[in-house]
Amino acid sequence: MSLLEVRSVSKQFGGLTAVDDVSFDVFEGAIKAVIGPNGAGKTTLFNILTAFDRPDEGRVSFDGTDIVGQPPQRIVRAGIARTFQNTQLFEEMSTHENVMAGAHAVTRAGFFGAALRLPWTVREEREVAEEARRLLRLVGLEEWADTPAADLPHGLRRLLEIARALATRPRLLLLDEPAAGLNTAETASLADALYRIRDRGTTILIVEHDMGLVMEVSDEIVVLDRGAKIAEGPPRLIQKDPAVIAAYLGEEDLDEL
Amino acid sequence: MGERTIDIRTVAVLALVGALVFAVPLLTADRYLLKVLTFVGINVIIITGMALLFGYAGQVSLGHAAFYGIGAYTSAYVVTSLGWPWLGGVALAVAVTSVGGLLLALPSLRLKGHYLAMATLGFGEIMRVVFVEARGITGGPDGFSGIPFASVGGLAIDSAGANYWLIWGVAAAMLALAANLVRSRAGRAMRALHGSELGALACGIDLTGLKVRVFVISAALAGLAGALYAHVVGFISPSTFSLHASVVLVAMAVLGGTRSLAGPVLAAALLTLIPFADAVIPGLSRSALETIQEWQEDIYGLTIIAVLLFVPGGVAGALRRLSRVGRRWG
Repeated sequence: MSLLEVRSVSKQFGGLTAVDDVSFDVFEGAIKAVIGPNGAGKTTLFNILTAFDRPDEGRVSFDGTDIVGQPPQRIVRAGIARTFQNTQLFEEMSTHENVMAGAHAVTRAGFFGAALRLPWTVREEREVAEEARRLLRLVGLEEWADTPAADLPHGLRRLLEIARALATRPRLLLLDEPAAGLNTAETASLADALYRIRDRGTTILIVEHDMGLVMEVSDEIVVLDRGAKIAEGPPRLIQKDPAVIAAYLGEEDLDEL
Repeated sequence: MGERTIDIRTVAVLALVGALVFAVPLLTADRYLLKVLTFVGINVIIITGMALLFGYAGQVSLGHAAFYGIGAYTSAYVVTSLGWPWLGGVALAVAVTSVGGLLLALPSLRLKGHYLAMATLGFGEIMRVVFVEARGITGGPDGFSGIPFASVGGLAIDSAGANYWLIWGVAAAMLALAANLVRSRAGRAMRALHGSELGALACGIDLTGLKVRVFVISAALAGLAGALYAHVVGFISPSTFSLHASVVLVAMAVLGGTRSLAGPVLAAALLTLIPFADAVIPGLSRSALETIQEWQEDIYGLTIIAVLLFVPGGVAGALRRLSRVGRRWG
């Protein structure tokens, strides 16, 4: 079943067409990737899919509901979570608290309930704390729970952002270049985490530059070039697609990457 | 759980400080000292709201003295001129300042940038003129006098000691509520908003809604403090609620440091006591006090600059370092 439907989405900045008539589906339970060279429109598309930006034309629907023009907090509540290319962590909060903050949209305690410490808010707070610990274990950060995010090693910051995104209990997790700046070992542990997340029933869409990760984890890949979709299919076919090789990598051979 | 846990040492320190604060009227009959410390309590109530607004939600208001004034005049007018009971006057003051805060925050917080600071600056100036010109209600530049003491039922709170307990009781209650709040989902959302707006959006936090709520709470606390103040002193005039007072409130919040309630509370106590130094320093000569009062603004300014330069994190930062050292040696 198609969880996310992208239909004829276009976006222009001045005279430049950043995204040009792009359509594809993300099916429930899959790991899908959008790749493309720098300037292919990946980030613009990503921001449209997470409602941080709106398209000039086209439609994006999530589970049958149009999400274009909705405020980001409603998109999160609907079940779409995201990470950022440049991690947006709460630096002064502990790793554990960062993940707890992610549960904001799926918890209810308001100002008055919390100020008066009503029993149900205390119970909710305890549940959030436990859930956050489980998610830290899932991404392998349980030992860092009390460390301020600012002191977390660079390679682990992405994992924390993923755990925080999972705390929103998403049905679809969108990752913006999750492998950027990671070394081989870190990329491998990221891939492991992605499998575990998919196996819990969360659909994943990755927008990525790093071919290694995408070729390994994706069920299907969409290739963008200069804003337009030039290919779509499983990694094996994408790797051999002449249009992709020509446009995306020029003279290089995909197999070498 | 890191800083979320309140350890036994913190509880002990809080209990000790609380007991000391509440014992003051038993230890001294000095009415002047009690009055000055009552002012400290009133400023603690305002600064609790400022600490939430500035230190947790990262928003600057240059007009909180206006809410303080609105609260004071509202309760003074309905109790003195219309014969409302004291509690009704205080409740109306809180209601009026909450609505005022909402009306000011909604349009200015929808916009990105420093519109809130500008809007509050303008609002403060408008209210200053209103306090002077709306003579029928405020008494104009001569002020509003003859405001009765607080009373509940037939019980009048008319001694210096009783007023002290009333104010500090309310201040302690507000601090306790705020302390709960900052350790909750809402407090986490505030710190998140302060840390990264994009990150907060990705957590599904309604940034505008959150900022508006915190602003309304801070306006209501200033209104509450104003209403209490009016009945403690019996006389209010526009100069108390000027831009200068708003700036002093911001100074207290900045000096106190972010992500802390204790820091701003101590900073508020310190800055409130400076012009009344003779109340807490026995034997301070008249001329020394006059010098302090004349140089009050400069002392404030220099204190803030010194803290910003030499004490990272303000009073809150110093407290955090102190508690770390205490833990190491304890």
